[in-house]
Amino acid sequence: MCYRQHVKSACQLLVLALPMLAFSALGQPLDIRIAFVGAPDSAAHHGALLGLDEAKVQGEFLGQRYSLAVLEPNLEATSNFTAFVVAAAPEILLRLAERFPSQPVFNVSQTADDLRADCHPNLLHVMASDEMRSKAIGQWQQANPEASEVTARAWHPAFEKYAATQLNKRFEQKYGFTMNDDAWSGWAAVKLLSDMIARSQTGDGATLLAAIRENLAFDGQKGMDLSFADTGQLRQPLLLVVGEKLIGEAPVRGIADVEDLDSLISTVCAK
Amino acid sequence: MNRLGPGYKFVVAAGFWVCTNLAYAAPRIFVTNEGGDSVSVIDAATNQVTTTIAVGKRPRGIGVSPDGSEIYVAISGDNAIAVIDSESLAVIRTFQSGNDPETFAVHPNGNLYISKEEDAKASVYDPKSGELIAEIKVGIEPEGVAISPDGSRAIVTSESTNMLHVIAIPEHSIVANILVGARPRAASFSADGKVAYATSEISGEVKKVDVASGKIIGRMPLADNKAKPKDILPSRDGKQLFVAGGRANRVFVLDEKTLEIVDEIPVGNRVWGLALNQDGSRLYTTDGASDQVSVIDTHARDVVATIAVGKMPWGIVIRE
Repeated sequence: MCYRQHVKSACQLLVLALPMLAFSALGQPLDIRIAFVGAPDSAAHHGALLGLDEAKVQGEFLGQRYSLAVLEPNLEATSNFTAFVVAAAPEILLRLAERFPSQPVFNVSQTADDLRADCHPNLLHVMASDEMRSKAIGQWQQANPEASEVTARAWHPAFEKYAATQLNKRFEQKYGFTMNDDAWSGWAAVKLLSDMIARSQTGDGATLLAAIRENLAFDGQKGMDLSFADTGQLRQPLLLVVGEKLIGEAPVRGIADVEDLDSLISTVCAK
Repeated sequence: MNRLGPGYKFVVAAGFWVCTNLAYAAPRIFVTNEGGDSVSVIDAATNQVTTTIAVGKRPRGIGVSPDGSEIYVAISGDNAIAVIDSESLAVIRTFQSGNDPETFAVHPNGNLYISKEEDAKASVYDPKSGELIAEIKVGIEPEGVAISPDGSRAIVTSESTNMLHVIAIPEHSIVANILVGARPRAASFSADGKVAYATSEISGEVKKVDVASGKIIGRMPLADNKAKPKDILPSRDGKQLFVAGGRANRVFVLDEKTLEIVDEIPVGNRVWGLALNQDGSRLYTTDGASDQVSVIDTHARDVVATIAVGKMPWGIVIRE
């Protein structure tokens, strides 16, 4: 009886102490290590570096410390990273996704649709797919039958709305060249990851992967809250470009509901 | 009354004279036209634009000095603050305020708290001298600024780091960082300064915050209504909140306690800015894509007038 009571009070003490332990854990900055797999001089890497800078600013206020290591695609990665941001060939993406099943692996360069249809649970495609681009162009041509030679992009240096100007300026001032699809995707991967880390106060890959797949409402500075489809594809508006001139946005008004980002996606999981 | 003697009447009469002479004869509304590079001046009695003042490139944030004598305008394209005499309507001076000033709030002591979007800082200026008094490091793309009625706290929103920074005045130190929904735009305080309200544009929601603890105590999504909310203001009695719904083209009226939407008032397109008159009877909105100001009767919750102003009206203040 006495023993039980002791156990009970000990338990009560522990229950009381746990939140305090958690609080003191919050007092220590959380160290977050992110791996970038790809060429150091790539646009995607520069985008990821800008995302890292911005994550550091947020982390200073909310208690996270970030670092980004560049790994050569051919080297064997180690597991002590919270997430992988990958600008490398599909086989490298797939190898990383299989080797680290509980870590988010962000694809920031590959556009192939079959990678999406594979539906790896931890493979997250920030880069817009081929399908999204052709659907965006299709919507545009439906609205403008005379249109030709239109391309669809994830990002454009002349994009100004929704604070795109500010993001373009930050990038160009820092690196001396303009932000493109790869750079935006690299930036977005680190930014959406760090925002979820701040919200969930954890560096645990599996917890973050679940939260990113289920609860993401990311501001990619494209005017809408972005989230991942079941295929792991980031839903996002695309920009329509002729020559190097920005001519419109998709979903295209009049053809689709401009907020219906799924109007650019029909790929479903093959399995 | 007689007991007080004739002196009483004199004091009352003198007080009345001082009050009537300090108050301005005609309440005026000042509106920045971001696309028109101008400020429209509206006579609040007639709802007519009486003057349009050329101020410089991309005027956005606007504020009024505590004594009502001066109007401050953030000229984003010229990196400056323009000062307008609220009676003569002349631009009487300008001062440099760093890169791309957007929004600011006027402290009861007269200082301006300005968000500097490109520098990730909030800066404090004395508008009399143009002197920079303090700089506070905040998150990326700082935007909305609010100051508590007693002047002891400021809130700055950082749009790209999704935070409200609570800043102690006069220390100018950050006392709380509150993570909110994506792209926080504007904030305001309750009359007693204990509670603050903020909008998040991309997540399309309103957050209510306990200022002392830095804790979120209420949340209401407006996103189902396709809102991209911007300005938010409590009614003068504190019982309701008015939210400019952006592309929802409506002003949402929320119950202050529950944050439930109790009414929606259709206005022009892309409603961004809000200003409430002193007695709380009229709410003025800038309808950015309709180049107009809507005048709302807050009791009837109806638009009673629309006033054509310059291109892309953005900020709005009332000098009474």
